[in-house]
Amino acid sequence: MIGGVSIVLALLTQVMLVNRVPLPAGGAPDLVLLAVVGAALAKGPAAGAVLGFFAGLLVDVMPPTAHLAGQYAFVLALVGYVAGRGAGGPVTTVVLCVLMAPLLAAAVGGLISDPRVSMSTLTEQVPVSVVYTLLVSPIVIWLTTRGRHARFPT
Amino acid sequence: MKDSRRARLILGALLTAALIILTIDHRTGDSSPLRPLRAAGAYLFGTAEQFGGGLVRPVGGFVRAILNAPAAKERIEALRAENAQLRSGLLADKLDSDRAKQLKQLLGLSGTGGYKVVPANVVARRGQPGFEDAVQIDVGTTDGVRPEMTVLNGDGLIGRVLHASATTSTVVLLSDPASAAGARLEGGKEIGVVHGVGEHGRLVQFRLLDSTAPMTRGGRIVSFGSQHGSPYVPGVPIGVIERVESTPGELTRIAYARPYADLTALDVVGVVVAAPKRDPRDAVLPPKEGAR
Repeated sequence: MIGGVSIVLALLTQVMLVNRVPLPAGGAPDLVLLAVVGAALAKGPAAGAVLGFFAGLLVDVMPPTAHLAGQYAFVLALVGYVAGRGAGGPVTTVVLCVLMAPLLAAAVGGLISDPRVSMSTLTEQVPVSVVYTLLVSPIVIWLTTRGRHARFPT
Repeated sequence: MKDSRRARLILGALLTAALIILTIDHRTGDSSPLRPLRAAGAYLFGTAEQFGGGLVRPVGGFVRAILNAPAAKERIEALRAENAQLRSGLLADKLDSDRAKQLKQLLGLSGTGGYKVVPANVVARRGQPGFEDAVQIDVGTTDGVRPEMTVLNGDGLIGRVLHASATTSTVVLLSDPASAAGARLEGGKEIGVVHGVGEHGRLVQFRLLDSTAPMTRGGRIVSFGSQHGSPYVPGVPIGVIERVESTPGELTRIAYARPYADLTALDVVGVVVAAPKRDPRDAVLPPKEGAR
């Protein structure tokens, strides 16, 4: 429940606020991805995949949208599963997911021959957004690990 | 182990579902069965964005103010210098002609071109997640906005309306790599196509269809207009050519132009609901830089 609400809030913040601020180098952090990763880290692989799928569908229908529906449902379902399974500690998991998501999205876009995905997307746009997302990711890591520490001693 | 197998099954089912949705949406195009879903999303979240827009605008403005602080300082210096110049202009009785010029500018693009414009505010923007460059504006079909209408602001062309719901609509920007607009070099008959190249709207690509036609830095581009003014009305200023690429042996020539409208920080825009009766040609272009 908290995961779902935080994903909707992250998406609204993303399109209403974050994307509209012209940051240096012209990218923006992907808050939705981080919300999915955070929720999946707490919930496990199955719940993470389901959460990711519905978050992706939301990304696909939330206006303004100009891409095909299903693209982000695919990407975020896979990301949610990977984040839920975990790869090493939470830090490596988050970094892996942040790197994986834009590349996957570009790959799916390439499969359906989306004109927006080209070599310059991969070399210019993706690295900037990855760096911004990684800069914000410590908040997610802190939130998930803090919950875990609190759970074990009590 | 059992749990992980279950999780893998769920993942497989979800990925298949996503691919099926993607295929259906891709194959059916405009008559997609996912249209109601998208319309519902546009209605629900468009309304939320519209109400939230007023709340978050000051926050965005604040962040933008911080980010622009160094530039603002330079601007203050420039304005001070201009102020001093204006003072001397007052003494020299030059002010009257200056004011006449500014008032003429204030009359605005829509007045000069004869476009009928519905003003709108940008309430949301896409860039992440996704590769498209699109914004949501707070006017919809109830205000007379239909898909495939031209969107502009006081400086120049912004893009076109893609979907329109009752109270909000989605605009694909000029800088979106999938958008293409017919364009014309000022003063001539040479036509070309303006494509977005990403780059967050700092540059757009202008492809001139005649490879032998002269094209130089500083040349200005206006929209060519489409049939019945849909999606693009004629005569809207697009941008000024920044650099010309040499493409030997190719059938078209490529230049990169800086759009007149600042596509990275959009706020007030206008949707052209009625095209001008006559093509305004170059009349709407802003004065050339350096000539000022």
